[in-house]
Amino acid sequence: MLRRIARLTTGRIALGILATVGLLAVFGPVLAPYDPLESGADILASPSWAHLLGTDYLGRDVLSRLLDGSRVSILGAVQVALIALVVGVVPGILSVYLGRPFEWLTLRLADTLVALPFLVFAVAVTALLGNGIPQAMFVVGIMVSPLFYRVARAATLSVARSQYVEAAIIAGASVGWVIRRHVWVKVLPPIAVALANTTGVGFVVVSSLTFLGIGVQPPAPTWGGVLAADLGYLSFQPWAPLVPTALIMATVWACNLLADAIRDVTGEAGRALLNTRTVRAGLSGAGREA
Amino acid sequence: MSPEPVLAVTDLDVHYRRRQGRLHALRGVSLSVAPGETVGVIGETGSGKSTLARAVVGLVRPSAGRITVAGAEVTAFRARQWRALRRRGIVQYVFQDPLRSLDPDLTVEESLAEPLLIQGRPRREAVERVRAYLARVRLDEELLSRLPGELSGGQRQRVTIARALVTEPRVVILDEPVSALDAANRVKALELLTSLRDAGTALVFISHDLGSVAGVADRIAVLYRGEIVEDGPARAVVNTPRHAYTRLLVGSAPTLRSARADRASRRRLRALLRTEEGIRHDV
Repeated sequence: MLRRIARLTTGRIALGILATVGLLAVFGPVLAPYDPLESGADILASPSWAHLLGTDYLGRDVLSRLLDGSRVSILGAVQVALIALVVGVVPGILSVYLGRPFEWLTLRLADTLVALPFLVFAVAVTALLGNGIPQAMFVVGIMVSPLFYRVARAATLSVARSQYVEAAIIAGASVGWVIRRHVWVKVLPPIAVALANTTGVGFVVVSSLTFLGIGVQPPAPTWGGVLAADLGYLSFQPWAPLVPTALIMATVWACNLLADAIRDVTGEAGRALLNTRTVRAGLSGAGREA
Repeated sequence: MSPEPVLAVTDLDVHYRRRQGRLHALRGVSLSVAPGETVGVIGETGSGKSTLARAVVGLVRPSAGRITVAGAEVTAFRARQWRALRRRGIVQYVFQDPLRSLDPDLTVEESLAEPLLIQGRPRREAVERVRAYLARVRLDEELLSRLPGELSGGQRQRVTIARALVTEPRVVILDEPVSALDAANRVKALELLTSLRDAGTALVFISHDLGSVAGVADRIAVLYRGEIVEDGPARAVVNTPRHAYTRLLVGSAPTLRSARADRASRRRLRALLRTEEGIRHDV
């Protein structure tokens, strides 16, 4: 699959950017030329050879803060995607097989989550479980899981009624066999598309939450946090938000490109189920509220 | 007829619940299939022939009546019992559309081995058997690694027939097995099915087309509006049909002689059928 994606130009660009971002996450903190928390005498300095991206309102080196913050930001986004995968996909597949009560319950739960105001929920959870990155990401993961639930359920439904599944049932196959042998393969491509999209949204949401002070505590740097700090001093450094914004945008864009590439290389099943519009519509809800 | 039928259906009723009221798909249908016998079930769209086939393999739950498979009364079977029975591979099923009844993501080999693997046989044994049966349906071994999309329509149908055979069933239910094929492939598929019959497997051959069944079946049952209106030796049903609907069916077969005469005879038979029905429903 990866090889087929790499054959597409869009796939190559997406993989290239994501690989760079991944390297940033691993080596970013090491590469930072200064301590990201150390403040200096030079506040709100313009870019210079000493501070390539200038300094912020406390005299901290912006480049160091961005590099140091990359790991937290990226891990956060990945965590969101994984939680959504587990909380959404598994019940989505099982909703078709575990009978009416389970189906009804999970459907209503998904509806409830969609209706829940995102920020209120985020604040409530951080109040209950404490303020920290894992808690915040947990919230976001739960909030986007209905999308995964729906995508997995739709893919499973289309397979469950098919004749080849009936043929397997006539041969004596159990539900587990049908899921392993026939359903899983059909659910995977649309889920991969949704996953790539969600990782993109995850970045935006992590950034927005940090912007609001939920998740990451102020001194620790993240991309969104740097952006938020910059915004307060727009009149002194109008160009400052550009760099963190560009970082976030490039990563989100790469995730969306990757999602498109996955959709293009997977078969008709994936394409028919996931015309991008439905995914984007589902996700933009979470993004907008954030 | 031999004493114990491999498949017996007695007074079977099947209803489908619809938004408004119920749909009577089958009414008091009785049919039995002796070992090695080929029974043709003829009926038009909506006559209930597919419902009958699906009820026999447990995909449709009957509302009344009894179904016996190889001596076991299965009418009240629960899901677990059905699974155990199906794993023995006594009854197999061939669908009308071979493209839809093969998983597009599984190779021919995987699809063919599936019923054997479900039975819990080791993979190596399953693969050996698959090769043997592939030869029986006259397919090349190089097709084993292909996906269904890479086969021709005739090859696909032969794959589904082979899949139905690998468990050495005693009955194979064929739901319109040749309708999706072109004329040349239809003949080949029918020849293949005839060779099956000679091998001692009982066949239930479901079709809307009397012509494709008449040459293969020992006995023909005619389903009309959920009831069996005629059941007898194939030759008798074709040559001396008793029910008006059967006569219409026989008369409907295009004769290549005169289209106008065909149309006229069909019109006459339809009118006859209407009056006969009117009488029956008045009673």
